[in-house]
Amino acid sequence: MREGMKTKQNMLCPGSVMADRKKKAVVEGIAQAVFGVCASFVILVTASITVYMIGKGASAFWKVGVKEILFGTVWKPTAEKPSYGILYMILTSAVGTGLAVLLSVPIGVLTAVFLAEAADKRLAAVVKPAVELLAGIPSVIYGLLGISLLNPLMYRLELALFRDSPGHRFTGGANLLSAALVLAVMILPTVINISEAAIRGVQPGVRAASLALGGSRIQTIFCAVLPAAKSGIVTAVVLGVGRAVGEAMAITLVSGGCVNPPLPFYSVRFLATAIVSEMGYSSGLHRQMLFAIGLALLIFIMAVNTALTKIVKKGAENGG
Amino acid sequence: MERSKISVRNLELSYGAARALKNVSMEIRGCAVTALIGPSGCGKSTFLKCINRMNDFVEGVRIRGSVFLDGEDIYDRRVDTTLLRKKVGMVFQQPNPFPMSIYDNIAYGPRLHGIRGRQELDGIVEEALKGAAIFEETKDRLKKSALGLSGGQQQRLCIARALAVRPEVLLMDEPTSALDPVSTRKVEELIRNLKKKYTVVIVTHNMQQAARVCDDAAFFLAGEMVESGPGDVLFSRPKDRRTRDYVAGRFG
Repeated sequence: MREGMKTKQNMLCPGSVMADRKKKAVVEGIAQAVFGVCASFVILVTASITVYMIGKGASAFWKVGVKEILFGTVWKPTAEKPSYGILYMILTSAVGTGLAVLLSVPIGVLTAVFLAEAADKRLAAVVKPAVELLAGIPSVIYGLLGISLLNPLMYRLELALFRDSPGHRFTGGANLLSAALVLAVMILPTVINISEAAIRGVQPGVRAASLALGGSRIQTIFCAVLPAAKSGIVTAVVLGVGRAVGEAMAITLVSGGCVNPPLPFYSVRFLATAIVSEMGYSSGLHRQMLFAIGLALLIFIMAVNTALTKIVKKGAENGG
Repeated sequence: MERSKISVRNLELSYGAARALKNVSMEIRGCAVTALIGPSGCGKSTFLKCINRMNDFVEGVRIRGSVFLDGEDIYDRRVDTTLLRKKVGMVFQQPNPFPMSIYDNIAYGPRLHGIRGRQELDGIVEEALKGAAIFEETKDRLKKSALGLSGGQQQRLCIARALAVRPEVLLMDEPTSALDPVSTRKVEELIRNLKKKYTVVIVTHNMQQAARVCDDAAFFLAGEMVESGPGDVLFSRPKDRRTRDYVAGRFG
């Protein structure tokens, strides 16, 4: 009865501010539900990937033993007495990614500074599309370039460095250093783009305050703007690490592929490349082991993400 | 008559074709508070930023004329803007602390100018915070983020930050327009104290505020400086009809 009256009142008095509660509630409800479904879809996907990987990967850990896998250094999955140690691959992924990030972050952040604070607008107008193009190049192309350009150079360096050490096993230039260099170039666009957004997002008041205190442009950028953009830059590093750890295609081509400790001029195998190169012929426990490697990779990247995010949060609490 | 701290002669400023300041000349006394009043867009903030050359960063800006600070033309080609801005500090409309600790905010300026010693910095920080009447509220949380302070506290922190490089002139661009009445009163009290040691130039929209804090005042309209002089004269017996209309609240 009241609802009816209200609708009638609304129709009769166009200026009335009384709500048509029912209709409004329905629209709001539907909208809420749509957002909710979309959001939970993401949760569903993440959760199911994690659960699936644990399910598939854990069986090998169960059969071979966590210690043998994580701390074993011999990887002979197809031998008569097979051995499934992936320690060297884990270390290679960690060291290779670390090197790539160390190379890429300084260059990337400085490029981002250049783009965001551009002193020279015309040059920036060339650099920006170049960065975008770099991001769009398929990773296998990086690998091809690595093979044809980087590896021969690296081989020459190797010949010069190890001329007098007969114990060295020559790699033809396909080694950890080559892989790290290729990875560094590959994550560069990510680092540049995210850092640039972070630097542009810094409150204009921060710059003005520093300049008004007598800071030069350079002092302002390094002492005020970059510290203020810190959390965004760490995000850039996190995403860069993510891309580097998961990358397989390009470094399969340039890293050599033998399971060795991660030393600069050793032919090495990363976690991700092991999966790619062995999946085709693997079977049985070997196949399960490759899923276990996938699980290790997943845990590795989650750990790095959590650690870096924690660092940022802690920094923010202590006045950062 | 005592010599002016700042003496502006025939200052012209334009952005492209738009003239923002038209032939402005005025004298600003040392160790006094000078209020710049006028409606929005009249050029008073632009004028303020000419005194520490913050307009240099605006694209397409052209400035002619002279601004003498202690007898030196700050638009001379030999001027080092770093030294100028050390001598002429600035406080902005929106409180803009750095996202760092309270201590690092204050120490920022001195560090830029090469002061590294821990003890010396400690001394400067305490002195600056006391000078801006915010020491008692912050002394136990110097290592905490400045962003945790209230708006009014942040603004006094920004004043302290400006004081830490030991300026002689303090420019304030509507420093209380983002603050509540209680914080505003504290900042006004502070401004009245600051003039014992500093030359203060303040831009304000608020006529009552100008009357409360200023010794001298200048009225700007459409890029011109219409009238300047002692504050009580400008507010009670303005010579120019336009000043009279504005002060009486007939426009603006």
